[in-house]
Amino acid sequence: MTAETIIQSLASGLLMGLLYGLIAAGLALIFGLMDVVNFAHGEFLMIAMYVTFFLFAFFAIDPLLSAPLVAAALFVFGAVVYLLIVRFAMRAKANAGMVQIFSTFGLAIVMRGLAQYFFTPDYRSIPQSWLGGKTVSIAGIYLPEPQLIGAMLSIAAFVALYFFINRTDFGRALEATREDAGAVALVGIDKNRVFALGWGLGAALVGLAGAIMAIFFYIYPDVGASFALIAYVTVALGGFGSVFGAFAGGIIVGLVEATTALILPPSLKSVGIYAVYLLVVFIRPRGLFGSM
Amino acid sequence: MDTHFAQRRRRDLIVALCLAALAALAPLFVKDVYVQNIMVLTLMYAALSQSWNILSGYCGQISLGHALYFGLGAYTTALLFTKFGVLPWFGMLAGGAISALIAMALGYPCFRLRGHYFVIATIVIAEIALLLIQNWDWAGAALGIDIPMRGDSWLKFQFTRSKLPYFYFALALACIAWFVTWWLEDSKWGYWWRAVKDNPDAAESLGVVVFNSKMGAAAVSAFLVAVGGSFYAQFVSYIDPESVMGFQFSLLMALPAVLGGIGTLWGPVLGAVILIPLTELTRSFVGGSGRGVDLIVYGALIVAISLALPRGLVSVFSLRKGAAR
Amino acid sequence: MTISRRNVLLGATAAAALGPMAARAQTSEVAIGVIYPLSGASAQIGVDAQRAFETAADIINKNYDFALPLAKGEGLPGLGGAKIKLVFADHQADPQKGRAEAERLITQDKVCAVIGTYQSAVAVTVSQICERYGVPFLSADNSSPSLHRRGLKFYFRASPHDEMFSTAMFDFFDAMKKKGQKIETLALFHEDTIFGTDSANAQTKLAGERGYKIVADIKYRANSPSLTAEVQQLKAANADVLMPSSYTTDAILLVKTMAELGYKPKNIMAQDAGFSEKATYDAVGDKLEGVISRGSFSLDLAQKRPMVGLINEMYRAKSGKDFNDYSSRQFMGLIVMADAINRAKSTEGDKIREALVATDMPGDATIMPWKRVKFDEMGQNNFADPVLLQYAAKNFVTIFPEQAAVSEAIWPMNK
Repeated sequence: MTAETIIQSLASGLLMGLLYGLIAAGLALIFGLMDVVNFAHGEFLMIAMYVTFFLFAFFAIDPLLSAPLVAAALFVFGAVVYLLIVRFAMRAKANAGMVQIFSTFGLAIVMRGLAQYFFTPDYRSIPQSWLGGKTVSIAGIYLPEPQLIGAMLSIAAFVALYFFINRTDFGRALEATREDAGAVALVGIDKNRVFALGWGLGAALVGLAGAIMAIFFYIYPDVGASFALIAYVTVALGGFGSVFGAFAGGIIVGLVEATTALILPPSLKSVGIYAVYLLVVFIRPRGLFGSM
Repeated sequence: MDTHFAQRRRRDLIVALCLAALAALAPLFVKDVYVQNIMVLTLMYAALSQSWNILSGYCGQISLGHALYFGLGAYTTALLFTKFGVLPWFGMLAGGAISALIAMALGYPCFRLRGHYFVIATIVIAEIALLLIQNWDWAGAALGIDIPMRGDSWLKFQFTRSKLPYFYFALALACIAWFVTWWLEDSKWGYWWRAVKDNPDAAESLGVVVFNSKMGAAAVSAFLVAVGGSFYAQFVSYIDPESVMGFQFSLLMALPAVLGGIGTLWGPVLGAVILIPLTELTRSFVGGSGRGVDLIVYGALIVAISLALPRGLVSVFSLRKGAAR
Repeated sequence: MTISRRNVLLGATAAAALGPMAARAQTSEVAIGVIYPLSGASAQIGVDAQRAFETAADIINKNYDFALPLAKGEGLPGLGGAKIKLVFADHQADPQKGRAEAERLITQDKVCAVIGTYQSAVAVTVSQICERYGVPFLSADNSSPSLHRRGLKFYFRASPHDEMFSTAMFDFFDAMKKKGQKIETLALFHEDTIFGTDSANAQTKLAGERGYKIVADIKYRANSPSLTAEVQQLKAANADVLMPSSYTTDAILLVKTMAELGYKPKNIMAQDAGFSEKATYDAVGDKLEGVISRGSFSLDLAQKRPMVGLINEMYRAKSGKDFNDYSSRQFMGLIVMADAINRAKSTEGDKIREALVATDMPGDATIMPWKRVKFDEMGQNNFADPVLLQYAAKNFVTIFPEQAAVSEAIWPMNK
């Protein structure tokens, strides 16, 4: 194993990790806001990739340009899912945790079925785009441009999210609603509106990730499944309730995945991720930066 | 002990005996093997879900990794039989014992985890086991294990065409899982679990005994699920890692209890009786279109039931018999 | 046969589906069960398969002037012109569901034969059930060599298995070496499923026997979110030939990742699967110029056998795609089975089995480059010669074996 292989592995792992972070950001935001784990998160990603694909196929809009459009579309979708399903799941008087898990899990199955119905189960991909297949090479280390842009977008998204939560009125309203939904009602904040916006925002982040992913990944109704578990582990590793934790969690997952593949057969590379998760929570039951 | 509770328990037992007797007679009227097959699966899922319910419903430790124990049971039985000629009846017990031990070993560090941290830990542990078996050549790796069929035999628990032996075994397993749950409800473990659920502060004072009772619940739950896995290996006579240890299996095991009523005695049975025939029939008669309509129906049903009846389908019945609660 | 009579019979079959008491379906319509994944990750394969089987049924049931068994005239003459009726079932890639569906088709729909299944794991259980009921099962497109070695009496496979496919690859390597090309090192890249494992096992064995060195043996998890680490190891090994056994998803990701990491393999010799799917070439065709894939079908055959082109047109009208390695084998699967049923003059399992055992169909009467269809005692057709196809100028051309080749191989693929 040469030094070049190791550096290349770490660089690729870091880029992939930042992307995992971006995928997980929305999940972390939604959980931090209302303690709900969205089990349809992978399917949100799938929808985002399809939207990107169709914008490209019908209007020839490059994924890089369509990313804001996809984010906007997913924002609406996320808010609608909250208003139609999650709102009622949160009202459940009994077994709230299970109701949330299984109503979003049921939604995931419906979304896969609908995707198969309307988009057919065929594999799609975007063959030509501004960044597709382009790569930057520095001293023999290759950094693919889509992932590079994805990584930068991920960092930018997390910085924006930090300012958004800590420095804006809406962010403070989110925080306040999270801490005490009853009290905010007294000062005239509509809990449902805040939560719907929170879901919209979480879904918009997945939208960004999906638009970037569509450049270099294949698209089909079950594509979300590969990423969903990684996103859950990323958020839990970083710690529920901490958006920064998802960022750190993503980087760790990416690096661990890359290094495991150097040591074990690649078919076992996820074992490294899972083992690190277990190790972390056995020592720190709230994840690395978790508050709950 | 209040008399309502005692009355309800006696009534539950009588109802269960009647239902079991009725079920035992069912094959007299149902000769179609396809329908018999659905009945076997329904009973198997009822048993699995009932066992899952002991740990996840009564104890409140939600596991989405029970496919681990199911797979361990299936693999232990199949490996012992194909490699060493050990009869599946012994394999079943061995698989159960191994699973119970592993459940306790895993429970020790995992029961410290709360909420989603625990759920994700269970998923991840089952995934690790899946990947290891998938890469373990001696155990067949991805090729799985094909259990050779040598004609009907109770000793080897394999039957070429008849579904009846499998039916009665699944029925017995479902009855045992139900009875264990029934018995646990009234045991000291059951009291502690209820106490902890009603009053989190009580958890502190009961700390050690509750922890031990959870270990016990994990062991019992894993043992029964592993026996279910052994049964599945004999029933299908072929296993591979994805089909017995995949994540979707953990969900399928939990679904009947969740939809029927988690943490209730009758929830898993009711859930399985409604859900399993429905999934089988939609696949057989709607799934052939290749357009995913069966997925849409199935998913929408899960959403609708979990939103409309958070206490599960069983709550529809207990409302009518409100006096008993 | 009149329309009204057919309707009556359809009604009778429907009644049979409702109750176990109904009599065995009348021989004027022959029901054949077809079990494929019709939902889930590989649903597209099942959907394409449905079209292939419908094309074959169409040719049998209506009058066509093809040199294919049963094409001329309507229906099965051996059974008084009975028509083929296909009964599709969805196994969702689950062995247990495949088993249950096979049993349902046999007992309720009274199918007299079963064809399937794409996934080898499902073929294991479906063929088991067919054996128990004495109903012939034909593996249309399963390539796992272990399938026919289980001592089943009712198992048949007209198409090649992975060892035959891999042998063709190594025959080709040997031939290229004789022509002075340097082929010493190989890199295997295979998924962690039955397909990937069987393929890699066959290739490892052949490499050992024929003196090729395997410098990288990468087993990866199917549908991985990333293949970067895997591709790096392939790149570091830089073998003379890269031999992938991957389905469409991973094939697309592999090719994209190789380009991103600046790895141009000297040659790619693919074990079919993703490398014969249109979706792969739509996605990354520009990077696959010169890739070689094994196959059991080639559209080149249309030049020698015009009916291949005509039948392909029929399939394309239904599916929007050309025949590929899977759909062509599925098509032939039904033809071979229907031919046996016709000769058996019966819908009884034992008689059909006897007819299958006696099958001897000349290669000219198929749409495949096979020598003939004739089953050995294990139900395997050893005369199904595989071909190697090279993707050049957006088309697949046959380059091996020599008697089927229409052009010279471009070698190496990347200098």
